[in-house]
Formats: sequence, structure tokens, C-alpha cells
Amino acid sequence: MENERDMTVDNGDQGLYQGPRAVDPEVGDLHADDPGYHTRTRFLSMVAIAMGGVMTAAILVPVVGFAIADSLGDEVWRWVDIGPLSDFAEGSTTSLRVTGPDPEADRRVFLRNRDGELIAIWNRCAHLGCPVKYSPGSDGYACPCHGGAYDSRGLVSAGPPPRPLDRMDVKIVNAAGQDVEFANAKPADRVLVGKAYSIDAEERPYKLRPPGDPVEGTLAKLFPFV
Amino acid sequence: MATTELPEPAPKDIGPKNPAVQVGMDVVDYIDERTGVTTGAKWFLFRNIPKGTSWFQTLGFTAMAIFGLQAITGIVLAMYYKPDPTVAYDSIAHLTNDVTWGWLVRGIHKWGASVMIVVVFLHMGRVFIWGAYKYPRELTWVTGALLLFMTMMMGLTGYLLVWDQKAYWATVVAVNITSQAPILGPYVGEILRAGPEFGPDTLSRFYSIHMLLIPGGIATFIAIHLFLVSKLGIAEPPWSKRRLAAERAEEDERRRAARERIPYGRTPVPAGEPAPDPVREPVKAEADS
Repeated sequence: MENERDMTVDNGDQGLYQGPRAVDPEVGDLHADDPGYHTRTRFLSMVAIAMGGVMTAAILVPVVGFAIADSLGDEVWRWVDIGPLSDFAEGSTTSLRVTGPDPEADRRVFLRNRDGELIAIWNRCAHLGCPVKYSPGSDGYACPCHGGAYDSRGLVSAGPPPRPLDRMDVKIVNAAGQDVEFANAKPADRVLVGKAYSIDAEERPYKLRPPGDPVEGTLAKLFPFV
Repeated sequence: MATTELPEPAPKDIGPKNPAVQVGMDVVDYIDERTGVTTGAKWFLFRNIPKGTSWFQTLGFTAMAIFGLQAITGIVLAMYYKPDPTVAYDSIAHLTNDVTWGWLVRGIHKWGASVMIVVVFLHMGRVFIWGAYKYPRELTWVTGALLLFMTMMMGLTGYLLVWDQKAYWATVVAVNITSQAPILGPYVGEILRAGPEFGPDTLSRFYSIHMLLIPGGIATFIAIHLFLVSKLGIAEPPWSKRRLAAERAEEDERRRAARERIPYGRTPVPAGEPAPDPVREPVKAEADS
């Protein structure tokens, strides 16, 4: 015999069978417990599972991307002209409505022209995002939600906020379209408010953080990707 | 005294049936022959329950019934509600004040939401106090915990839809709290808000989550939860003598294992006992031929 595992069976009228056994009863299926051996059934099962995975991904990837991709990422900021410098008298704090993504959001800046500098303070409370109110009497900001209180420059004076009120960039542009220093600005020059940024207690600027996040310290490291 | 055999009571269900009853039975038979649904219904409904099962065990069904109430009232509220910031509040005012029985349907949906939270917590407390989360019912508890989470998400997303000042700022605060979770929290917040700040997309997103995504999840997990309840049966109350005996025997076994320093859960083989025969002789190389 060519192969020692071949068998010979005399089937009587139907002749003599000589060839390989389907399964050698003594040795058993040699491949049954061999994880590296691919039967046709196993191969086709894997193909079917892979095809199912590809088809599921072809549906789910666009759906999930459509649902969340545009939600991630920072807000787009642009310079907004809020009027001539003469509108904001020396020593005053002016509350201005600025457009946000949502008209309901009640987004405001408080333009504080005092001590020879012009700063724009965003009314979004640094604790959990409620709108703060400016009180001229106490010359400070108070949040109605959880009692956060800020002083005249937006620095925390009481309550839970982890950092001062966020600010927005301010610049002054003269009639020729050139940026001018606040000290050299004329009353007719235009004031523009731009991108928001966060500050720490020493008023050093940081990238804008969502409400509730501190800008420095151990807790700031909890959000490494922001 | 000789006892007289009572005659067998005559069967009453002989003869032609009421045609209406007959039609009903025919319909049930037609469906059952093709689906076997009555077997499943009997498996689900006619189970043995332990002694001591009481009204406390009805809290789970109550929670499910309130979910059904919320689903039905929510479907009809969605026929009038418009998830757009400019008209959302007005559409709520319209359906409450102008539409027939709108105050009633919205009231059922609003108060039903609060009642559902209460009942779900009572149900969870019952399961906890009864110790019904223990083996083999751990996965029933896990699916129940997911249902609790989804119920809370329903509360959060539904609260914003009213779109008044209280709803708006409460949800701003809630989403900002969500953003406080470390590492991925800010992203979860942005996905919920559909951006860095609340906007028109936030409202329609919350509406979609509130009426499509989470109800589907809750219905799915109620089905799994009920399947597990039916498969595993109702837990015996903690004061059941049978359960106490079983738990005491288990505890004794564990203590004995600790005392004799044998791995718990494995019966030691007594010394001198021969190892069991292998099922099959190992294949030997044909060295002799």
C-alpha cells in the first residue's frame, strides 16, 4: 500500500475499496485538537465573522462619527466690535451682551476700564457655568447657583469656584485699522473682544478650561487632553 | 361500614362550544402550533414562588408598569412637542394649556418620572435587604443597575426639554458636573452638549436621547432582566429556614476548609485512593513492528 494509513475493504458485489480512511479509528482525527489546523468549516466561519464585523463597522463608524465628531473640539472665536472706546468710561464696568452659540445662554462680558487697563470678564461662573451678576455696590460678581463670589477683577473671593472668572482678549483698533495701545487710544477708536482664556489667581493666562476645572495643581492634571 | 365509591364527576366540556369561544381557541391554537408561544408564556407566568413572597416583590413590576405609562404618555406628548429652542417652551405651553387633557397627560408624564425614580429605588432597596442579588442572581442585579443608570439619564435628558430657565441652567450645571470626571469627562460633556456650549443642537440631541436611544435600551434590558428573573426564580426571603440551612451549611464548609487548610470548594482526595483511570490509553508509538 502506498500510505500505511490506507485501508482495504472488500465490499462484495460493489468491489474492493482501497484508499484512505475517513477517520482512523485507532489514531483518531489527527487534527481535532490541533489549533493551527484550519478545516474548511473553520475557515468559512472566520470569513463569515470577519464579513459581519466589516459590515457592522461600515454602519457604526459613520453613525457614531456623525453623532459625536462635530461636538468635539474648541469653539471658534472671532473678533467682535463692541463700540468706540468712549462708550466705556474710565472707572466703569460695563455689562455687554455678546452672541454665543445659543441665544438662551445669556453670554455676557463685563468690560472693566479702570487703573489704566481694559479687561473683558466673561460672566460664565468658573464653578459650574451659571451666569454671574455684577453688583456695582459691592463692585464684585456673584453666582446665583452655588454662592460663588468674585472681586472686582474676577478673582475668587468666596465660594466653590476653583479658579477666577475667565476673560476674553481685548484690543483697540484705530480708524486706519491698526492696533493701538490702550494708553495711546483715542475716544473714537474701536474696541474689539476676541478669544476667551482662563487665568489663575495671579492672572497668568491659560488655555480656556471648561467650568469646574482648576488651571493649576494636582487636580488640573486629571484632564490631560483638554 | 362499606364505603361507596363516588362516581367520577361527569366531564362538562363536551358538546359543541360557544362559537365565539371556539373562534378564540382556534386562533390561539393556530398561533401556538406555529410559534409554541403558549409554552413560553406558561414558562414565564406559571412559576413556583417561594413561601414568604409578598407585596414587596411587586415593586419591580410597578417600576415596569410606570415605564409603560411614561412610554405611552411620552409618545402622545411627542405629537405636540417641538425640540427647537425658539418654540420648545411655547409648544409645551400650548400642549399644556390648549390641547384637550394636555395638562393631564403632561402631568402624568412629569409626576410619573418622579414616581419611577422612587419606585426603582424602593425595588433596589428591597432586593438589597432581601439579599436577592446573591448567587446565582448577580447578573439580574447588574442589568438592574444599568436600568437604574438609564432611568437617571431619562430624568436628566427629559428635564431639559421644558426649556425654561430652571431646566436650562440646571442642565448646564449637571453637564458641567459630568465634565468633572477625570480624563474623559470633558469629552462626555462635549458629546452631551453637542459642542463646547449649550446650543440648539443640545436640545434636539437630548430629545433624541430621551425618546429614542434610552427607551430602546431600557426596553431591551427589561427583557433581559425579566428573562433572568423567570429563569432563576424569585429568591427566598432571608428568614426562610431552607435558605438559612443552605447558607449555614455553606458557611460551615468554608470554615472547615479554612481550619483544615484545604482549598475551599474542592473536595480533598482521601489518601490511598487510587487515581481514576484515564479515559483513553495514550497513543503509543509502534516501536515493536
